[in-house]
Order: sequence, then structure tokens, then C-alpha cells
Amino acid sequence: MDIRLDGVGHAYGDFEVMRDITLDIPSGRIVCIVGPSGCGKSTLLRFIGGLERPTSGRILQIGDPPPDCLNPLTYVFQDFALLPWRTVTGNVSLALEDHRIGGAEAKAIIDDVLSRTKLTDFAKALPKQLSGGMKQRVAIARALAVRPAVMLMDEPLSALDSQTRELLMDDLIGLWTRTPFTAVYVTHNLAEAVRLGHLIVVLSRRPGQIRQIVEIDKPLAERGYADPDLEDSQKQLWMLMREEARAADAELIDA
Amino acid sequence: MPDATLAATPARDKVRAVDFRGGGFAPKTRRWVGIAVFIVLIGFVEWGTQAGWISALTLPKPSDVLATFGELYASGLLFQHLGPSLTRLVVGATIGASIGVTTGVLIGLFSYIRAGLVPLVAAIFPIPKIALLPLFVIWFGIDEGSKYALIAFGTFTPTVVATYGAVDNVDRTLIRMGQSFGLSWFSIVRKIVLPGAMPGILSGLRISLAIAIILLVAAEMLGAEYGIGAYILQAGSLYDLERLFAGVVILSILGVIVSAAIGAIERHLLGWRT
Amino acid sequence: MTTFNRRQTLALIGAAAAAGLATPAIAQNRKVTVGALRFTSHSASFIALERGYFADAGLDVELKFFQAAQPMAVAIASGDVDYAVTAVSGGLISLADKGAIKVIGGALSEEPGIDGQKILASDAAFQAGLTSPAQLGGKTFGMSTAGSSFHYMGSKVAAAEGVEMSFKPLQKVGAIIGALKSGQIDAWSIVPHIAKPLAGSGDVHIIGDIADYLPNYQVTTVFTSAANASDERETTESFLAAFSQGVSDYNATMIDRASGDEGVDQMVDLIHKYVYTDRPRDNAAPSIINGTMRLNEGAALNIASVRDQLEWFQSEALVDEAITLDTLVDASYVNTIDA
Ligand SMILES: Nc1ncnc2c1ncn2[C@@H]1O[C@H](COP(=O)(O)OP(=O)(O)OP(=O)(O)O)[C@@H](O)[C@H]1O
Ligand SMILES: [Mg+2]
Repeated sequence: MDIRLDGVGHAYGDFEVMRDITLDIPSGRIVCIVGPSGCGKSTLLRFIGGLERPTSGRILQIGDPPPDCLNPLTYVFQDFALLPWRTVTGNVSLALEDHRIGGAEAKAIIDDVLSRTKLTDFAKALPKQLSGGMKQRVAIARALAVRPAVMLMDEPLSALDSQTRELLMDDLIGLWTRTPFTAVYVTHNLAEAVRLGHLIVVLSRRPGQIRQIVEIDKPLAERGYADPDLEDSQKQLWMLMREEARAADAELIDA
Repeated sequence: MPDATLAATPARDKVRAVDFRGGGFAPKTRRWVGIAVFIVLIGFVEWGTQAGWISALTLPKPSDVLATFGELYASGLLFQHLGPSLTRLVVGATIGASIGVTTGVLIGLFSYIRAGLVPLVAAIFPIPKIALLPLFVIWFGIDEGSKYALIAFGTFTPTVVATYGAVDNVDRTLIRMGQSFGLSWFSIVRKIVLPGAMPGILSGLRISLAIAIILLVAAEMLGAEYGIGAYILQAGSLYDLERLFAGVVILSILGVIVSAAIGAIERHLLGWRT
Repeated sequence: MTTFNRRQTLALIGAAAAAGLATPAIAQNRKVTVGALRFTSHSASFIALERGYFADAGLDVELKFFQAAQPMAVAIASGDVDYAVTAVSGGLISLADKGAIKVIGGALSEEPGIDGQKILASDAAFQAGLTSPAQLGGKTFGMSTAGSSFHYMGSKVAAAEGVEMSFKPLQKVGAIIGALKSGQIDAWSIVPHIAKPLAGSGDVHIIGDIADYLPNYQVTTVFTSAANASDERETTESFLAAFSQGVSDYNATMIDRASGDEGVDQMVDLIHKYVYTDRPRDNAAPSIINGTMRLNEGAALNIASVRDQLEWFQSEALVDEAITLDTLVDASYVNTIDA
């Protein structure tokens, strides 16, 4: 299933947040969205997820989601959004309960996603006992459990320290390599974008418009820490964004 | 360079530990202090009443209060009074708290109900419920009905306010998360809103139940032959300080038990809190 | 600071000496606080104040009004009030036992031939057959609190009829009236000026007289702090003398009609300053006249009735068994009736 954004624009009252965004999100690809603070990245992701409606333009699903898919558009939140009163297993099963999946079937799914996210040993732990990286792995496990057609990730790693971030990026790459999934991945961090993105969409400052779409051909599995090829792409992106970021920053101060 | 600076430090300067300035402002559990305060206070009153510089009209002897309590227990009257009171407390508070929690959740969830009921709740909150007792007697009868109603009404308002505050405070991102996983409205309320509001609801209940105990005495003003409140009122009108204090002590113990029970429920239900 | 010159000082000494000489036998302008309820049964105090009997006795009286008898008794115990009139109750006896108060005289008693307290039944109970005190068995009887005079009266009636009733404490007279009118309780007893208008409304029926069960019942008494009774003999005697003058005036005018209708009118004017002040005079007059009951001449005290009340409170375990009549009553001030 592909997603197409067709001339999406939005304003909160007189406050224009984004303008005329047209973009294809091909199946099995990770599309990273980068852009200066306040340019409407999170808002755009909410549109794609159907949690909010744009004032103009349309979000289209092209083709049907795979038949075993329980929740086609599934979020991974920056602040994890785990229910603190449920265990790791409980948090994952929350996503299944409303799909009338229980008993052995649910257990099989939960065991599978927990092992894929290396959480099997922590199945009975409460969120308060987990580190930040583990919490985000639980959130990813929960997202995987519903077999999404598209994962919508809003800065999923930005609440984590940089070592944990590196580890989780390796985990995500591992997950994708085994079973490729479609994802829209919003981030501030250009290093993340070049590590994980097949396509990198650069937005201008508010009102957000597409400045450029950069494609990185190197297969995910071959990209590594401090990869010189990626350094180049990252540098190129930074040149693109630098002025925008400075202007956005100045704008915030003026406001 | 830094080495040079260090070396330049005059060797004759005194060496001493840095002053510690970080103490205090960190409450610690000191359980025995509370008990000691009680013991000292009671001992002081006992001494004063025995010695005579606290007159019999001012305070009863704590030992006499204890004796009165003993008699009350031995005669079986204690349970004759406790039984009806506990029933009134349990029935009244259960009705008040459950309607209160339901109303509070509805206010928290529906804008129209909020707009309609919040001003109403604000209007009835400050009414001294005792003032309505005669009215309740006419509505619900002089027997148990009016007593349940008074206690229920008194616990209702603080529960409502605490509950909708708690629902308002439920982390919105968790609700968004529930929606993003396609959970039904009912599932979101049951699995996210209610557990998320539970800490606020329970701390509201702590206050509501204390109010219920206060209202017990008021409820037993009209037409109660037995009950701790009736016992206290009778002791007051007979100016029987020993019985008055024995009754008051029972209410205090009841308060401590309720508070401990809620503490236990909190530990059980809210173990997930950090 | 106040400074006096020589002439003023002399004048002051002279005035003090003159006052001392002029009133040798009575208390000298002592400040006294008298507690009262806004009931016609407290009229003796109002009359003694209005007609200057207190002042003549050398007492500078200030009336302090209460909503109920109970706080008044506590105010005497705490020394905020010196003298007051109230019914004998468990609370009063307990305070006497604690050495705080003493009964020193009588104020109101049941007397054959004079309208006294009535036994009332709610309309619902009346229709269901409660037409005389003999049918009180199994009924509910209103009272303010356990150990109140209502409790005493109801118990005595039930005992005389050989029946059992349950007593409902309702704290306030207003609440009892409400409960009786709405049929929440079955029966009650109260002074005639409250009983008669209630019965007139049809919600309530008079089914008997307390006097038939408790002849010569000493309904209310004059009481003071134990300290006043023992240490302030002179002031207490002065108070009782002036109070008795008020009683005489009241009985003569309102019951014996010594000064005819005109006298009654004047007396009603006087009492209306204190009682039913929220109603116009013409409206209040019938209630005041209806409420007339004979007060004890000379504040005489029916000691037999007081003893019976004390013994009843003891038998119900409402007060300590060890309390003697002497603890409650200081009988040295007034004539006592022992029958
Ligand atoms: N519900 C709303 N009402 C009004 N303004 C909003 C609302 N949500 C977002 N905005 C504004 O819209 C703009 C875009 O917000 P958004 O959160 O999408 O930006 P972002 O690109 O995700 O920023 P960041 O990088 O800081 O996360 C911001 O200026 C924000 O203040
Ligand atoms: Mg954002």
C-alpha cells in the first residue's frame, strides 16, 4: 500500500503552517522528513495518520493494506506513550485487544514482536523499570504487533541519549532488513535521516514546503556508524537547511 | 600552564574541608514522632486532670475515657453503635462516591455535560449539607434514607470535582496513542482514561471519605437512636465528657482506618507510579 | 492616663460613700448577666428588668439570649451567664455533678386546673388509631436529645400506660415539629402555646395532658453557677427577690387578671418586646396570651418532682447513679414543696 499526499496545506486560523505538499510514500521504503523547528512535520504526520484533517489537499491510500494488517497506519511516539500501569506484555496486547485477538494467537504475536525487539526477558516489567531505549523498543514492538502497512514515527529517538540512539538505529535497520516495512520518519537529526532514510524530504521553514527530496541509494544494511558516504549526504542536507534553520530560529526570537 | 598556577599556590595556606550546606528540606519518615506527640499530649492531660489544675469541666481524664471505652465494649453497646454507623457510612459513601465518580468521568469526557454540570456542582459544593438535613428527612424519611442521602450528597461533590480534574489530567498523548491504534471509544475510556485518572480519584476519595465521617455525626442528629454520631450528640447534651471523648476517639480511629485502607488500595492499584 | 484634681476626688469619694449609705442591705449595682430564651415562660425576667425590679435590688442586669437551653447551661458553667431558667435535663444534672451549677428555685410547674403541657399525635398516627396515650405502645416519640425533658415526659407517660415507645432524637424543637407534622414521628409533648396552634392546623392532634401523668411536674427551674450559690449569697438573694416580683406581676396580671384586660394588654406589650418580635403586636398577642402558664410564686421549688426527675435520669443510666439531690439543688434560697 502506498500513500500519496496531494497538495496538502494547513492553517490554524490565520496561522499558516504548511503549503502545497505533494509527496509519494512508496511501499517498503523509509521516508524521512527533516526541516526546521515549527515547520509542520508533526502536523503532517498527524494528517497521514488520520488524527487531524488538513485545510486543503488530500491524503490518499493507494491500494489495499495487506490482508493480515490490523492497523494500517500505526504510530511510534517521541515520548513512547506506554501505559504506565501495564507491563510490557500488557502494553503490546493493548493494541491487539480491540481486534478480537486473544489467547494463543495473541500470545504468539506478542512473543514474536518481543523477541524481534529483544524484550523477551522483560515481558513482565512495568514501564517505570525500563530504560528509555527499552521503552521505545516496547513502543516499536507494540507497533509491529498490529502488522502496520505504514509506520508513522515522530522523532522516535530524540528522547534518548546518543549511544542508545545508535543501538536503536541498528535495531531498526535489523528489523527492516528482515521484513521491510514502510515508514514515515520525522526527525531533527540529519545523521538519523541519512542512516535510515531511503528518501529524505527537506521542508522549508514555516509555512512548510518541500525544498528538496534527496534519495540515498546505499542499502540500509550497508550503512554504518560514521559512514563517509553518508557524511557527504548529511553535509549536503545541512547546506540545504542551514539558512532555513537560522531564519526559523530568528523568527522564534522575534515572536 | 595549570601546573604552574598550582605550583604557585602558596604552600602555607590552610587546608580544610568545604562546608556542607545541603542539609534539610527533605522530609523523611519518622514514624515514632507522631506516636510520641500523642503520648506526651495524653500524658500531660492525665497529669493535669489528676493534679486538678485542669478542671473536670475542661477536659475528662484520659484514663476515664479509656474506662468508658472499656465499658462500652464490655456492654456490647460499642457494636450496637458501630453497626448502624458503619452501615450508614458504607452505604452513603458508596452511593455518593460511585455517582460522583460516574458524573466526574462524564464531565471529563463530554463537553455538553461539562458545560451543564460544572456550574451546578460549583453551586452545590459550598452548601453546608447539614442545612439540608430537614429537607432530606421530608424527601427520604426520618429513618436510614435521609442519613444515606446526607452522607451520599456530602461525598458526591468533592468526588465529582476530584474525578473530572483527574480525567482532565490524563496524559493526552496516551489517548492519542489509543486512537492511533484504532481502539474503540469505550476501550479508551476503560483502559486509558479510568486507570490514568485513578490516582486523582483516589486522592479525592481520601477527602470525600473524611467528609463522610464528619457528616456521620450530622446525619445522626435526626432520629438516630444508635450510632457513633448519636452517641456523641447524646454525650454532648448530657455534658458527659468521658463519653463525648470516647465517641470522638472512635471517629478518629475510623478516620485513620479509612485513610490506611485507601493507602493500601493505592499501593495495590497504583504500584505503577514512580 | 486619667488624673483627678482634689475637688473631683472628694466628690467621687462622697458619691461612693453616699451610695454605700443609701443601700446598706442590698448588692451595690452589681453587674449580672441573666440568660433567657425568647419564650413567654421566661417573662418573669423580662418584667423584672423592664419594671426596674432588678435595678431596685441593686443589680445591673444584662439579658443574654440563647437559641436553646443546652448552651445556656454551658454558659452558666463557664461563668458567662449568672442566672437562667431552664428545664431539668441530663445535661444540667451532669454539670451539677461536675460542681458547676446549682438549681436554686422553681420557675414553671404543672398545676391542677391550669392548662399545662399537651401530648400530641401526628395526623397519620391519629387516623391510625392513636387517640389516647394508652395507644402509644410501639409508637415513635419525638425528643430533642436523650436526657431532655421530652425524654422524661414521654418515658413517664409510657411507664404509666405500661407501654414501650421508641424515642427519636431530633435536636431542635423546629425539627420535631416538622417531623410530627409530616408524620415521620407519631407523638410528642410540648407546652400549650405551641401545642394549641399546631392542633389548630389539623396536622396534629392533642391526645392528652402531661399533668394527668406528672401532677405538679416542676418543668423549669432557676439555676446559677455553684460559685454564685455558695459565695454570692447576697446577690443571689437579690436576684431571686426581683425575679419573684416579676413572677407575681405575671401571675396576677395574666392568670388572675387583677388589672383586667388593660393590665393584660400592657403586659403583652412588655413581653412582646422580647418574644415573637418578628411578628406584629396584634399577631403576637394571642400566642403570648395562649402561652400563659402559672409561674412558681416566690420561685418556690417542687423538690419532690425534681427528685423524681433525678431518679428517672439515673434509672436510665443517663447520669451517674451517685449524684444526690443536694448536689443538684441548693434548697436554702426558696420555699420548697415536697409533694
Ligand atoms: N493545535 C494547534 N493549534 C495551533 N497551532 C498549532 C497546533 N499544533 C501545532 N501548531 C503550530 O503549528 C506549527 C507547526 O507545528 P508542528 O508541531 O507540526 O511543528 P514541527 O515541525 O513538528 O516542530 P518541531 O520540530 O518543534 O517538533 C507550530 O508553529 C505550532 O506552534
Ligand atoms: Mg514535532
